[in-house]
Amino acid sequence: MKSEKPSSPDPKRFEVSRATLWFDRFMGWAIRLGGIGVILAVFGIFYFIGKEVIPLFKPGAVVRTSSVQSEGKPLILGVDEWGELPFFYSGGENLLFVDGKSGTRTEFEVPGLDGLNVTASSYDPVNRRVSIGLEDGRVGSFLINYRRVFENGEAKGVEPSVVVEPWYEIKAGTGPVTALSYGDGGDSRVIVVKRDDGVTQAVSIVRLGFKGGLIGGKKLSILGEMDISPLIEGKAVLLRASQNGRLVLIADEKHAVSYFLAETDGVSKRQAFSPFNGGKIAQMDFLFGGVSAILTSEKGTQQQWSLFRTGENTERLFGPTKDFPNVGDGRKIFAKSQRNRTFLAGAGRELSIRHSTSGAVRWHGTVDLEPAAAILDAKGESFWIASETGEAKKFEIKDRHPDAGWQAFFGEVWYEGGKGPVYQWQSTGGSDDFEAKLSLVPLIFGSLKGTAYALLFSIPIALLAAIFSAAFLPPDVKRIVKPTMEIMSSLPSVVLGFLAGLWLAPILDTRVPSVMMMVILIPLTALLVGYLWCRMPLSFRNRFEGGAEWMMVIPFLALAGMIGWWSGPLIEKMFFVYTDPGSGLKIADFSLWWPQATGTKFEQRNSLVLGFIMGFAVIPVIFTIAEDALSNVPKSLTAAAAALGANRWQVVRTVMLPVASSGIFSALMIGFGRAVGETMVMVMATGNTPIMEWNLFSGMRTLAANIAVELPEAPVGSTHYRTLFLGAVVLFAMTFVMNTIAEILRQRLREKNKLV
Amino acid sequence: MSDLIDKPASGPRPDFIRVEDFSFFYGEKQALFGIDMRIPENQVTALIGPSGCGKSTLLRNMNRMNDLIDGVRHKGDIRLDGTSLYDPSIEVISLRKRVGMVFQKYNPFAKSIYENVIFSLRVAGRSKKSELDETVERSLRDSALWEEVKDRLHDSAFSLSGGQQQRLCIARAIANQPEILLMDEPCAALDPLATLKIEDLITTLKQQFTIVIVTHNMEQATRCSDHTAFLYMGKLIEFGKTMQIFERPQQPETEAYITGRFS
Repeated sequence: MKSEKPSSPDPKRFEVSRATLWFDRFMGWAIRLGGIGVILAVFGIFYFIGKEVIPLFKPGAVVRTSSVQSEGKPLILGVDEWGELPFFYSGGENLLFVDGKSGTRTEFEVPGLDGLNVTASSYDPVNRRVSIGLEDGRVGSFLINYRRVFENGEAKGVEPSVVVEPWYEIKAGTGPVTALSYGDGGDSRVIVVKRDDGVTQAVSIVRLGFKGGLIGGKKLSILGEMDISPLIEGKAVLLRASQNGRLVLIADEKHAVSYFLAETDGVSKRQAFSPFNGGKIAQMDFLFGGVSAILTSEKGTQQQWSLFRTGENTERLFGPTKDFPNVGDGRKIFAKSQRNRTFLAGAGRELSIRHSTSGAVRWHGTVDLEPAAAILDAKGESFWIASETGEAKKFEIKDRHPDAGWQAFFGEVWYEGGKGPVYQWQSTGGSDDFEAKLSLVPLIFGSLKGTAYALLFSIPIALLAAIFSAAFLPPDVKRIVKPTMEIMSSLPSVVLGFLAGLWLAPILDTRVPSVMMMVILIPLTALLVGYLWCRMPLSFRNRFEGGAEWMMVIPFLALAGMIGWWSGPLIEKMFFVYTDPGSGLKIADFSLWWPQATGTKFEQRNSLVLGFIMGFAVIPVIFTIAEDALSNVPKSLTAAAAALGANRWQVVRTVMLPVASSGIFSALMIGFGRAVGETMVMVMATGNTPIMEWNLFSGMRTLAANIAVELPEAPVGSTHYRTLFLGAVVLFAMTFVMNTIAEILRQRLREKNKLV
Repeated sequence: MSDLIDKPASGPRPDFIRVEDFSFFYGEKQALFGIDMRIPENQVTALIGPSGCGKSTLLRNMNRMNDLIDGVRHKGDIRLDGTSLYDPSIEVISLRKRVGMVFQKYNPFAKSIYENVIFSLRVAGRSKKSELDETVERSLRDSALWEEVKDRLHDSAFSLSGGQQQRLCIARAIANQPEILLMDEPCAALDPLATLKIEDLITTLKQQFTIVIVTHNMEQATRCSDHTAFLYMGKLIEFGKTMQIFERPQQPETEAYITGRFS
């Protein structure tokens, strides 16, 4: 195109227009903003997750807040659930409430004493029940109720009231009641009572229950009283009835502990044991939940004893499950929490707050008064101690997550009822006294297992497919195959999970032998057809150009698949015959045979299903990236190798794979990342059982699935909630470490095979 | 294979490679139109012509490298020593072993010098140490590289200069002692000094191999070839002794090209 030449050039032709400059500047800033925004967002996520997780690892702290003065040596110290109004009982006629803030005193007369002396008392903080024994052998109890008082919408204080429960006459023995313990399990209750007239001693267990007619209210009455003195060697020293009203522990002067079980039809002695190798037992008490007891020796050694079964059909008996650090010398102090497995333990002025699940000492310190009694409030936010002289002090506990810690999350823990220390995840239970099992190890294991099975299925297929597509497949077929594979990767994982859980799992459930046959037959057929192909005359083979021979294999593979599918039941009949132990009936069923033969579980939603379905999620990712890496190997190299007489496989092996190795490695890592982080398929196809076994036919629970399943029901800010975030951190750490290692290896590979 | 290597001592054959009415198509596009050509044994034959004239296509058909491209087809035939390249009973891989090839851009593998040279033996499954060592020394001597690299045979091939890498590629191509050596603009990526060395090498190598070289550089064609073929628009315009083509071209197009009127 020729136009008229201007007579003189435009003087402004070298200038850059304002709009261009502005636009350049604007885009510069917009891009910078985007970049900084991404970095900030990442740090924001770290900040948020860190904020949720870090409190889990904070040790407990204790601050003294207030002190009051009561009268006399407190036998019983109790407090309301807000820790504001402690009460003191010294064995007299009066119960003294002292307001922690104002020091105001309120006295209640203990009802029903009839002028008799109180010779024994005990307190159950869970039910706030004060039990007393009299010199005439009667026992009784009263409940202390607290009511929050509000004024103008603000909490003003706490108002106590007392509810009297019936008195019971203890028949066994003579003389005053010298010790008692009331175990209140609602419907079933026991009182263990010791009477001592100075010469002989009698210990009896009174069972209480609700009796009454069909019409009218049921009445709490004595179901039976049993004198158990003959069953104890020597004199009883410590008596404890459990919170559920069924267990009684009695420590005797020989330093042995007897365990009695109260059932509906009577009381029986089940076990006698000697903790501390016969050392003197200074303290013994049940923990919250009533199936574990903390025992402390005179020397300060502290142990937890729990009920558990040692065998399949054996009885639950007590056994030592944990050793705690020595509490020291001096008067032993113990107070249990009323909502979890925390307890306050100490000797003299040295106190510590301990958690029985993890065995951790949450706080340890010295207090400025020698405690004679101690009580933890119901929320676990404070404790009170009172000295011999009646001085009492309140300490606030700053420990929101006593059940957290390294041991709880990553260590083997001996949970209540267990045979031994295990890694277990069971964050919530049906009752308030449930002991949370927060080990992340089964979840980490589940993530690794899920990933391993997913990759076991997908890596070979994806890599071979990528090689096939890059080096063998005719280009016009490849143009269809590659986008198809990419579409596969865009399948929503919830659809895959749905297919896995509701369609594939029930099929595979009954067809395991068929699948096994197919897995064996299909690759074998491919090899066989390949071998036969090589035997064909060259003139025949040369008729198929540029990789078109692959189509020859397809009917054979389909045939092999069908044979595999149909032969499955036959194989099942031959090899996988289950014998019913009861009737001796023989059934050809793999899902029954497997547990019998291997002793491991067979679940419908298992790793096999997962591997198949995760293949759909992972194969396209690995395939696409690996195929790109292989296709990007310079044509000059493959051509050089081909010109030197290398066949297609030799070109792949000697030239393409080494050059593409770093890219293939990246593909594997991205596949790994996809498998580790995959959530929906894991939730829907694995059964979500947090068990630790590599068994192909059992499920698993992964960290990601765990977060998805449990986060909606975890109270915000609770240990459970924060632990789920910790799971996210662990998941991130796992992928981070893997990716870092992979990146280092990848750089090495790239360095080794770089093309300069 | 050994009968191919041990050539009968009957002297050079004038029609060692016969291109017979050969046409070639990339999909719908025809690249070569009925080429007829006889390439003599143990001589250097240069293919010249402007860009896109089909000279590389013709060269790459002589070992069927064009088969690797999608959607190609051909008409006519090319015969090596009387055997058709497209004979259905011929394994293309064994064919390629008869024909070595050197590419425009030097392309050694990411391996040691040693492994690069013996690549063709490795893929043929030969692994006797003495044979490999012997081959490496012979090939590197033949490609005039031995003195420069004999002390660092196990260094990466990328540690060599560009010219050395191209000579390594020649050593690699001749390691399995092919009959024919195809060179596709072997000096296009090299400086003048390295080019000179390669040209010297070509002159030496023709005693052992039948060499076909594609070149853009007409001085190069005059310096080192015995015969020259001039291709234009996919057609063979003129074929003859190099001296004759450059001094007394018969066709006006040839004259126009060699005098630089088009390129």
